[in-house]
Amino acid sequence: MTALAGVESLSHPRRAGVWTIIRLGFRELRNGFDGFRIFIACLALGVMVIAAVGALGDALRAGLTTQGETILGGDLVFARMHIRGTAQDLDAFRRLGTVSETATMRTMARRADGSDQALAELKAVDASYPLSGVATLQGGGSFIDAVSGDGVIADAMLLDRLGLKVGDDMRIGEAQLRITGILDSEPDAIVDRLTYGPRIFMSLATLDKTQLVKPGTLIRWRYAIKLPAGAASDRKALADLRKSTSEKMPDGGYTSADRFDPSPQISRALDRLRQFLILIGLASLLVGGVGIANAVSTFIDKRMKVIATLRSIGASGSQIMGIFLVQLLAMSAIGIAIGLALGVAVPSIIDAFYGDLLPVRIRVDVSLQSLGLAGLYGAIVALLFALWPLGRAENVSATVLFRDSVNATGGWPRRALIVLMVVLATVLVGIAVSTSEPRSIAAYVIAGLVVMLAVFGWLGGAIARLARRLPRQKRPALSLALRNIASPDGLTRSVVLSLGTGLSLLVVVALANAALVADLQGRLPAEAPDYFLLDIPPGDFDGLRARITQDAPGTSLVEAPMLRGRIVAIKGTPVEELKFSSDTQWVLNGDRGLSYSDSIPEGSTVTSGTWWPKDYDGPPLVSFEGEIAKKLGLGLGDSVTINVLGRNIEAKVANLREVKWESLALNFIMVFSPKTLRAAPHNLLATVRLPHDTPSDVETKMVRDIGRSYPSVSAIRVRDAIDQFSKIFAKVMVAVQVAGSVTLTAGALVLAGALVTAQRRRILEAVILKTIGARRRQILAAHAVEYALLAAIAAVVAIALGSAVAWVAVTRVMELDFVFSLNAVFLTLGVAAVMIAVFGGIGTWSILRAPAVSYLRSE
Amino acid sequence: MSDPIIKLDDVHLTLTSRAGPVRILRGISLSIPRGQTAAIVGPSGSGKTSLLMMMAGMERATSGRITVSGRELGPLSEDGLSVLRGAEMGIVFQSFHLVPTMTALENVALPKELAGEADAFETAAALLAEVGLTARVDHFPAELSGGEQQRVAIARALSRSPHIIFADEPTGNLDGRTGKQIIDLLFGLRERRNATLVIVTHDNKLAAMTDRVIRMADGSVVADEAAEPAMRAVSS
Repeated sequence: MTALAGVESLSHPRRAGVWTIIRLGFRELRNGFDGFRIFIACLALGVMVIAAVGALGDALRAGLTTQGETILGGDLVFARMHIRGTAQDLDAFRRLGTVSETATMRTMARRADGSDQALAELKAVDASYPLSGVATLQGGGSFIDAVSGDGVIADAMLLDRLGLKVGDDMRIGEAQLRITGILDSEPDAIVDRLTYGPRIFMSLATLDKTQLVKPGTLIRWRYAIKLPAGAASDRKALADLRKSTSEKMPDGGYTSADRFDPSPQISRALDRLRQFLILIGLASLLVGGVGIANAVSTFIDKRMKVIATLRSIGASGSQIMGIFLVQLLAMSAIGIAIGLALGVAVPSIIDAFYGDLLPVRIRVDVSLQSLGLAGLYGAIVALLFALWPLGRAENVSATVLFRDSVNATGGWPRRALIVLMVVLATVLVGIAVSTSEPRSIAAYVIAGLVVMLAVFGWLGGAIARLARRLPRQKRPALSLALRNIASPDGLTRSVVLSLGTGLSLLVVVALANAALVADLQGRLPAEAPDYFLLDIPPGDFDGLRARITQDAPGTSLVEAPMLRGRIVAIKGTPVEELKFSSDTQWVLNGDRGLSYSDSIPEGSTVTSGTWWPKDYDGPPLVSFEGEIAKKLGLGLGDSVTINVLGRNIEAKVANLREVKWESLALNFIMVFSPKTLRAAPHNLLATVRLPHDTPSDVETKMVRDIGRSYPSVSAIRVRDAIDQFSKIFAKVMVAVQVAGSVTLTAGALVLAGALVTAQRRRILEAVILKTIGARRRQILAAHAVEYALLAAIAAVVAIALGSAVAWVAVTRVMELDFVFSLNAVFLTLGVAAVMIAVFGGIGTWSILRAPAVSYLRSE
Repeated sequence: MSDPIIKLDDVHLTLTSRAGPVRILRGISLSIPRGQTAAIVGPSGSGKTSLLMMMAGMERATSGRITVSGRELGPLSEDGLSVLRGAEMGIVFQSFHLVPTMTALENVALPKELAGEADAFETAAALLAEVGLTARVDHFPAELSGGEQQRVAIARALSRSPHIIFADEPTGNLDGRTGKQIIDLLFGLRERRNATLVIVTHDNKLAAMTDRVIRMADGSVVADEAAEPAMRAVSS
């Protein structure tokens, strides 16, 4: 009766423990990497991108922090526009430690004879400069000695531009100065924001001689402080010190920074770029997920007999799942480890080859958080894509051992696995969305990817079905190609999915790039002014206008008062106590340009409220840009407090405006009622629009005359400023394109994996064709037609789908006008042709070389 | 002979194909008593292997009722069938079906390992000694001859001391001499354990070694008789 005892235990059978399953799984690993190379490569590639982006971000941040003191020029910095620090302010700073005072502004540097001039970024320093790091001259020499007396140190580019050399004189403002050195390096260059021109150094005393600094001049005064050794050594202590010092000067209008985050703007820009590139890495990981799923599916197919054997000797579905899951986890661990190792190496490689392009010297200091995120993404994606084919292994019946079954792994995995996949997908989306800023970008990226995978997944099947229904073709090559496309275990699905998804992402990146470039450059010639004139003393404006129209008749000038001020409170609440999303916070973080006007400024439309009457004489009113007002929670009648020239002014929001920023007209976020700011010392800002077809010599003469007659006025050529910005933008786009091309590489890996999997079947097919009289040329033609058809369909749909996704990205996320680019189309078709020619060509070449006999024998 | 350990009542098996349904088994009814040895014989395509696999719970009947060790197979889940096979049956295949990544010892220990039995490897080593493969325990299937692989498969089939042994043409892939050795081994081992043996074969001599011969043609049992004593004597 032992048999019955055994039968009775069926409902609660004794089962192998977890360790036994792990041991059995590891035993199966003796198969080696057979069939897992593409799996590991797809996983490693995606993890590498995410880890590399994270590691590079960490290294840059570590670089910023460790070199923070040098980059900042001290432990702490307080800065403000327009007004030099008062004696009391300086006393307060000196109580903290050693202080260095510097001033930066834009100005025109001219040849002594006035025959040529160029825009320059002037920096005036005191004898303590720099408190940290070293400022050096080309060829050596003392920096401070070089700026003593009437000496100036200039950037080599400026001297080249003006045809000057060391020892020559140059004019700046009202002073004639001697060039005493050529600048080699400046430790605190990157904290001086975006610069448009080459640098000039001089002493603060020399700055006085230039007479450039007048009330209202756009000048930034910085006070770098080096604390005594041991004081406020940690992040919190420094932040507290900043706060307490600022509180002692409530109306000072100073912004502050410390060595732990010397440039919040750069930190924020790096964070944004990092988040965006991580999303692109995630995209390549998800595209690689298709390769992972294909690899696991093929692996399960190959192990079918083993699974059935295990079934025949009593293994349950969960045990079989467990055994193969152990193997997949082990392979995933290898893929993730390779990806992490390569990713960690990337910052050092970039530093070695492209270190000069980075804003700071990096320090390799990878955080566990960055590696953890990359590893976690890798593990989730590997499981997410492997579970479906793996789950179907449970459905393998022992019948396989004696009857080949076409649909041996058919059917859905059990419900618990589907629930697990849904949970994993939710966690993946949750992590991506919660670690991105703004979160909507991650949501859009993931939604776009899901749409692409779904569309191309469906399209592959649809093409195969359509090929089956087509009438028989007379041409053998076409007929063979269509039969291959229609084959249920053919390449159609894999090729369309991998090529289509990779190409779509290429189209999205190319079109987003095109939209940005078009936005920067496309509309400028028609609408943008040719020059901005800065720091025009109000009394000089009429004379300046006369001078310009005399030189270039028909030129139009539009002027506006220009001050800089900082929002210090909104509806009575200090901004330090308010928290906004990062796409709004920038408005509160520093000085903003302010103006006043008795009429609606050019390029603006009032969307709610009304503009004040021309002779309005009441309490301060302000007109706010509508979008930003909405994000700051400001409505009509709310109060805003601004610190201008060290004085707090509270104004009520009288109306909201829609501003056409891209016109590059004189647009300001805040425009005040005239009485509020008219009395404050300030200069004018003007736009200059030259008549079309103005000869370049007329333009040159006009700029030279402005320089000679109005030495304090700086003329910025808009085209140069745009070019300068375009250069920076191009560097960022290179990073985006490199990350984007990795997605295409993931697509290529998936394609290669699919071709390798199908290779044996295709060789056998070719061998059989050869034995019945097919010539190599016919087989080659059949393959060429098959690949060309699939690549063409994938490319055309990729262009359409990629354009649709790019349209959403450009119009909804980037909020720009969509521009269709034929270059993107040609790029896509070209890449599709190259990829299919390379992969298909290699495959077909080896198929045609395969010896017939060995294949026929082995089958 | 005692109560039937295997019982089939009007069992049909119909498979679907593109050309339409294919009737593999047509109304099979038979019972095999505990401890009996039986051979299923017949021409190719007559349904021998299908019948054996249905008894082993590896193929489900389209209709009819199959009972093994007092348990009806129809209502059991795929996992339930696996557990029943592990506890009650040992199966020997024509193509051996050893797990290629595992050594001989590991292959034989596998059923007991899956059942969570602690003595898996001790039992496996003893079984391999019994089938004469002590020197081959650490060899992988690819390093063994066909006859050696089939010995490992037999040892694996006996690992959990099953009450029923199913063998599907166990000598089909072996030469005559090796096949004879394997059959002697299989019958000897069965006898020592008093297990029920059901064997599918084309070999009349082998069939004659059993207590009973079930002859099939076109999916039906056309003869079910005791093996001829004369033949049994010749074979043995």
